[in-house]
Amino acid sequence: MLELDLNLRQKFEDVASKMRLRLQQRPSIKALRDTIADRGIGTFRGSQKLDTQNLLQVVEKGKIVGVDGSTNSSKGPFPYIITLQQALAKPCCSDPKGITETDALSPLTVEPVIGEDEYRELVKRNLACLEVKVALKAIEEFWPRLILLDGSLVRYKIEAPQLWEKLKSRALDGDIILVGVVEGISTNLISQCLKDELPEVIYYASDWEILFGLLDVGERLEIAQGLFKEGFRTFFMRSSTDPKPIGIDLLEEQQIYLSEVANLVYTLTPRDSRGIPLWLDIVDKSVRITDKMMESLLSAYLGDDYVELIRPKREKREL
Amino acid sequence: MQVVGLTTPHEVYVASKDRKFRINELLVIQDPYQGDLIGEVVESNSYNRFIPLSIGSGIHDGDVIESLKHLGYSISEDEINIGKVKLLTEANFPIVTGCSVRLPTFDEVRSYLLKGRREDGLLLGEIKNTEETAATMDHELKGLCEIYSRGQLYKTRNVPFFLDLRSFQQYPHIGVFGGSGSGKSFGLRVIMEEIMKHRFPALMLDPHYEMEFSERQDDMTEARDFSQDFKKFQIGEHIGVEFLNLSKRDLLALLSSVSPLTEAMSSAVEELHLRGDTYLSFSNRLELLTEALEKGRAKIEQGLKQDLDPMEKDKLSKMKELLEKYQNIPLPSVQGIAWRLRRLYNSGLFSHDIKPVKEAMMQGKLAVVQGPIWLLQVFSTYLLSNLYRLRRDYKDGELKGEAGGEYFPPFIIATDEAHNFAPKGRDAATKGIITEIAQEGRKYGVFLVLATQRPTLLDETVTAQLNTKIIFRTVRASDIATITEETDIKAEEARRLPYLPSGDAFVSSPLFGRTVAIRVRYPHTRSPHTQNPLDEIQVQRESAEDKLFESIKPHLPIYAANFARAVEDINGATGQHYEVRTLKEALEALVEKGKLKKQSSPLGDIYLDADF
Repeated sequence: MLELDLNLRQKFEDVASKMRLRLQQRPSIKALRDTIADRGIGTFRGSQKLDTQNLLQVVEKGKIVGVDGSTNSSKGPFPYIITLQQALAKPCCSDPKGITETDALSPLTVEPVIGEDEYRELVKRNLACLEVKVALKAIEEFWPRLILLDGSLVRYKIEAPQLWEKLKSRALDGDIILVGVVEGISTNLISQCLKDELPEVIYYASDWEILFGLLDVGERLEIAQGLFKEGFRTFFMRSSTDPKPIGIDLLEEQQIYLSEVANLVYTLTPRDSRGIPLWLDIVDKSVRITDKMMESLLSAYLGDDYVELIRPKREKREL
Repeated sequence: MQVVGLTTPHEVYVASKDRKFRINELLVIQDPYQGDLIGEVVESNSYNRFIPLSIGSGIHDGDVIESLKHLGYSISEDEINIGKVKLLTEANFPIVTGCSVRLPTFDEVRSYLLKGRREDGLLLGEIKNTEETAATMDHELKGLCEIYSRGQLYKTRNVPFFLDLRSFQQYPHIGVFGGSGSGKSFGLRVIMEEIMKHRFPALMLDPHYEMEFSERQDDMTEARDFSQDFKKFQIGEHIGVEFLNLSKRDLLALLSSVSPLTEAMSSAVEELHLRGDTYLSFSNRLELLTEALEKGRAKIEQGLKQDLDPMEKDKLSKMKELLEKYQNIPLPSVQGIAWRLRRLYNSGLFSHDIKPVKEAMMQGKLAVVQGPIWLLQVFSTYLLSNLYRLRRDYKDGELKGEAGGEYFPPFIIATDEAHNFAPKGRDAATKGIITEIAQEGRKYGVFLVLATQRPTLLDETVTAQLNTKIIFRTVRASDIATITEETDIKAEEARRLPYLPSGDAFVSSPLFGRTVAIRVRYPHTRSPHTQNPLDEIQVQRESAEDKLFESIKPHLPIYAANFARAVEDINGATGQHYEVRTLKEALEALVEKGKLKKQSSPLGDIYLDADF
C-alpha cells in the first residue's frame, strides 16, 4: 500500500481505540462470573465428553439428524434476482442419503408485487419453512433421537409458525429432542439483566461479548428458566478452544435433557474448531449452494445473454 | 468409474466413489466417438471433502470422528477416489468428459502384458495390480509362480511377467539396477534360474560367493531342483589360466590388474615374455635377471673367472647372457613384474585352465565363477575374451562359408557389481571386452546381464546398450537421474523409486514400449549365506553352553567341598582349562539359563541339575 491518507488513518485510529475501550471496560472475568451467578441469571456447569458406552446408549434410542439450509441469490439489480434454496436433513449413519427440499424464488414470480425488503423477509421465511419441512420428514423416516438444527429454535417459531407448531408437537409426542445450535449469538440476555451493574459503554452488550473468554473449554452457562423466550430454554457453551461461545436452544418441555444435549454437542465438536458440532458442518457442506453452482445453473438455464443483462457493472471492474 | 475434469488426448482423470485406483493398473476408457481406449493409472489419489487439507481447521480431532463412527457414520465413506490415467496410445482428440471407464478383460490387454510365446519367456514374476484382469485369463497362465510379500508366500493372482528370450536377438542385454536390500540379488537369482530352465549356456561372475543354486527353498511347495543345472568354479581352485596360451596382451592385462603397470614395466614385459613361455620359464627368467641386476656385470664377470662348480658357473653365464640381452631394463621394473607375477601364481591362477567352464557351458549349464573381486576382474578378462573369441570364430567361419569350425554355443554373461567390470571414466581390465560384447555381442548371440547398485558408475556405452532394464528401489538422486535418462520411465514412476518395496521393480523394455511394474517371483533356490550373523552368534553360543552342560552333568552336584575335584575332573574329561573362578562363572551362567539350579546350604552353594 502506498502512503495512507493522514486523515483516514487518524479517523481509523479513533474508532479502533473506542472499540478497544469497550472491551477494556468489561469487568474482570471473576467479577462477571460472580455477578452472573449471584444475580441468578444462570448456572455455570461443566460438560463431559461421552465415551463409547454413552454414545451407544444414545444410538439405541434413535439416530441423530442434522438439519441445515442454504440460500444463494444471483447478483443483480432488484427484481432481476433468482434465489435458490435447499434444506437437508441428514441422519448420522452410513446411508448417505438425506431428505432434501428445494425451492427457487424470484421477486418477478411473487404475487402480489413486493419490495426489496419484503422479498428478503420472504426468502428468510421460506428457508425456515423448508428446514422445518425436512425435519418433519426426517421424523417420519428415520425416527431420530435428536435433531440438530442450524440456528435458534425461536427463529423457526417466528418465521414458520404453523409448521413449527407441527414439528414441536411431533417431537414432543415422539420424545425427539430438538436442538438449535446458534453459531452467531445475537441475544443480550445478560446485559439486560445486569443493566445497573455494567459500565455504561456495554449496557447493551451482546451475550457473546460478555461471555467471550469467560467460560472454560466444555463449560456452559445455563440461562435461568423464564429469562429466555417463552417456551424455550437456552444455554451458552464454550464447546471448543475458541473463546467465543455458541448458543444452544431447547424446548422448555425437554429441558430435562439439557445436560445430555450439552455433553453430546461437546463430544461432537472438534476441540480446535470454531465450536460447531462436526455433523452440522458436514450437513452444511452437503447442502451448500455454491456461487459456482449458481453461476453454472444461470448460464445453463437463463442463457449467457440474459446473464449479461443482469450482471451488475461492479462485477466487471478490472482493477 | 467415470472420466472427470479436463481431458487431453493422452491423459485423463477418472473418479470413482467406491473403487480405489491402483498404480499401473490398466483401464478401458469407453469413449463414445473413439471407441475403447486403454490407459494406465499413473497416479492415485483419494479425497474426502469433509476432511480438508488445511492443518488448522480443527476437523482433525480424531475423537470426534471416532464418536461419529459410534453414532453410525464413518467419515471415510464420503471419500472420492481419483486416478490419473495415461493412454497407452495417444487418442486423436481429447476424451469425452463423463464417459465411463471399466476394467479390461485379459484378452483386451493381452498384447500389452504378454510378449512372445510363453515357452520362450523368462518368468520373472507378476505384473502388479492386474488381479482383476488376471481373473479372466486362460487357465494355463494362472498361478504360475509363487510370490513372497509381507511375510507370506502365495501363488500369484496377477498376470505373469515374461521376458521373451527370443527377443534378445533384437533387443539384447539386461541391466538390473537397485540399492542394497532392494531385491536386486533376488532378481538376479530369478533371472539365472530362468536361464537355467531354458538350458541356455551362461557364465556368471560371482564376487559375493552367493550364486549357489543347490539349496532349495524349504517353504515352497514346488521348489525346482537346479543342482544339476549349474557348476561352480573357484579361480585358482578349479579353474585358472594356461600360461602357455597367454598372449603378451593377456599377460599385460593380468599383471596390471594386480596393480597398474608403469610404462617401463609394460615394455619390460613385452621384451621379457617369449612365445612358448611357461610360467616356470618366464618366472625363472625374471628371477635370474633380478639377481643379475642386483649383482652387477662386474661381479658376474669376476665370478666367472673363479673356480666354481659347473652348476654355479652355468647360472652365472646365463645371468651374463640376460644382462647383455636386456641391458636397458631397470631393476625396479623387473622386481615389480616379479611380485605381481608371484601374487597371481599364489592365487593358483596358473595351475589350472578354463576347460571345465567351457565344458559346463557346452552342456547348456550355468558356470558360476567365484573369486575375490580383483582376481575375478583379471581372470574374467582372460575368460571372457577366450569364450567370446571361440563363439565369434565359429560364427564368422559360418558366415564365410567355412563350416566345420569348432562349435561353441551362444551364451549369456551375468555379473553383479557390474560397475567394477565396466566402470565409467576409468579403465578396468574387463572394460574392453564387456564394451565389445555390449556393442556387437548380439550378432554372435552373446548377451549380458549386468547388475549394479550404482548405474551412474557404469560405463555409458555399456548402459546405452542394455535394452531391457529392471529397476529396483533406488535412493540416490544421481542414480535416479541416470535411470530417468536411460529408460522410458515416467516422472511419476521415478518419484516412486525410493519407496519401492523390496522385490518390486520397474521393467523398461523397448519390447513393451512402456514401463511395467512387476513383483519378482520367489526364487526356487536360496543363497548359501542367508543366516543372519546375529543368529549365527546365538546358535554358536547355545551349542557351546550345551557342550559345557553335558561335560559338567556327570560331576553334579558340585558344592564347595568337591569344587576343586570337579574342576580337575571336568578338565580331564573335556580337555578344557577351567580354574575354580572360571568354572564358577560358567556354572552361574548355566543357572541363569535355567539349566542348573543353585541351592544355598550351610556348606555354601550347591549346584544341581535343574531337572533333578
